[in-house]
Amino acid sequence: MELLCCEMDRVRRAVPDGNLLYDDRVLQNLLTIEERYLPQCSYFKCVQKDIQPYMRRMVATWMLEVCEEQKCEEEVFPLAMNYLDRFLAGVPTPKTHLQLLGAVCMFLASKLKETIPLTAEKLCIYTDNSIKPQELLEWELVVLGKLKWNLAAVTPHDFIEPILRRLPQPSEKVPLIRKHAQTFIALCATDFKFAMYPPSMIATGSVGAAICGLQQDEEVSSLTGDALVELLAKITNTDVDCLKACQEQIEVVLLSSLQQFRQEQGDGSKSEDELDQASTPTDVRDIDL
Amino acid sequence: MSEPSRDARPIPRGSKACRRLFGPVDSEQLSRDCDALMASCVQEACDRWNFDFVTETPLEGDFTWERVWGLGLPKLYLPSGPRGAQDNLGGGKRPSSSPARLQGDHVDLSLSCTLVPRSPEQPEGSPDGPSTSQGRKRRQTSMTDFYHSKRRLIFSKRRP
Repeated sequence: MELLCCEMDRVRRAVPDGNLLYDDRVLQNLLTIEERYLPQCSYFKCVQKDIQPYMRRMVATWMLEVCEEQKCEEEVFPLAMNYLDRFLAGVPTPKTHLQLLGAVCMFLASKLKETIPLTAEKLCIYTDNSIKPQELLEWELVVLGKLKWNLAAVTPHDFIEPILRRLPQPSEKVPLIRKHAQTFIALCATDFKFAMYPPSMIATGSVGAAICGLQQDEEVSSLTGDALVELLAKITNTDVDCLKACQEQIEVVLLSSLQQFRQEQGDGSKSEDELDQASTPTDVRDIDL
Repeated sequence: MSEPSRDARPIPRGSKACRRLFGPVDSEQLSRDCDALMASCVQEACDRWNFDFVTETPLEGDFTWERVWGLGLPKLYLPSGPRGAQDNLGGGKRPSSSPARLQGDHVDLSLSCTLVPRSPEQPEGSPDGPSTSQGRKRRQTSMTDFYHSKRRLIFSKRRP
C-alpha cells in the first residue's frame, strides 16, 4: 500500500452555501441580533480614566499588523476589536494592560474563527515578551467572564456576502470589490468613530465605498451614485442618509490613513502616486496602516 | 500545541510587529487585577442567580434552588463509570468536599431553580395593568427553561 503525504499550504474551506447567502431569513436574523454585540457605551467618556483614544488606535494598529503578518482570516481582527471594545466599555483598565488585552482578544477571535489558531506563545513574542503565556491564559478567562462568553459576535464581515449576492455586479468584479470592502472594514475597526455603528452599516458603507472607488478606474458596477446607495440601504434596512454619511466617513478615514502613510514614507515620487490613489483605493491593502 | 518547528506561520526574523506598546508591564499588578476581576465575575454570577458557585450552595433571593434526581437527560450526559472517572470534567478545581457532591445515583446537573415572587402583595410587573392576584405562578423547572423563555422574549420584541 502506498501512502501519499502532501502538505497543504492553504486552509481548506467549505464552499459558500447559497442556501445561507440568498435566504432572507439569515440576513434578517443577523440584522435583528447585531446590536446585542455593540459596546455598551462610548467608554472614553464614562469608563476609562487612563486610556486615551490614541492608545486604542495604537493597540489596534499593532493588532492589525500581527493579524496581517500571521495571515489570519479577515474576520479575526474586527472580531478581536469587538471583544476589546466590549471589555473596555465595562472594565476600567490601566494602559499598561492594554497590549495584553489586545493579545487576549486576538487569541480568542483566532480560536473562534481559524482552523489553526494563533498560539499564546506566539502572541507573547509579538508583545516583545512583555507578557507571559500564563498571564495571557489567565486573562483569557477574565475577558471571557466579562464578555459573558458571548464570543460569536456579528461583525461587518457577516454582511459582505449577503450584500454582494444581492447586487447586480458582473461576477468577475466581485472578488475585487470584496477585497476592497474587507480592507475598509479593517480600517473602520482601527477607528473608534465606528465602534458604536451597527456592523451592517459599516459593511454596507464599505461595499459602497469600494464600488465608488473602483468605478473611477473601471466599470465594476452597472449601478452607481444614488441608485447604488438606495439599493444598498434597502438590502440592510439602513437609512439612506446615515449610509451616505457612513460612506463619506470611511472615505475620510481612508484619505487620512493614506496621508499618514505618505508622511511615514517621506518619499516624494511615491507620494504623487498615493495622492492619485486617494480617491481610487486600488492599493489600500498594501498600505501599512 | 503544535511543535514550533512545524509552524506554518513563523514570525519573520526582525518583525516590526514584535514590540512593546506602553512600556514595562507590572506582573504583580497584572496578577492582582486578574484575581480581582475573576472575583467580580464570580460575584456577578452569584448575585444574578443567588447561588454560590464556589461552594455550590443556594443563597437567599429570587430563585429557589432544589435538588433534582435525574433530569431525563440523554445517556451521554449521565456519569458512566465510577464517581471518580468524571471528576476531571471540573478541571480538578472543585474542592472535593463540595456540598453539592451527593451520594448514590445522580447527575452533576443536580440543582434546578424556580423564580419566586419577592413579596406576594406587590402587583404583577405586567405593563398591561393589574392582573388577577392568583395568576402569579411563574415556575421554571430548570435554568435552561429560564434561558429559553428569556431568549424568546427578546426575539419577539425585536421582530418587525
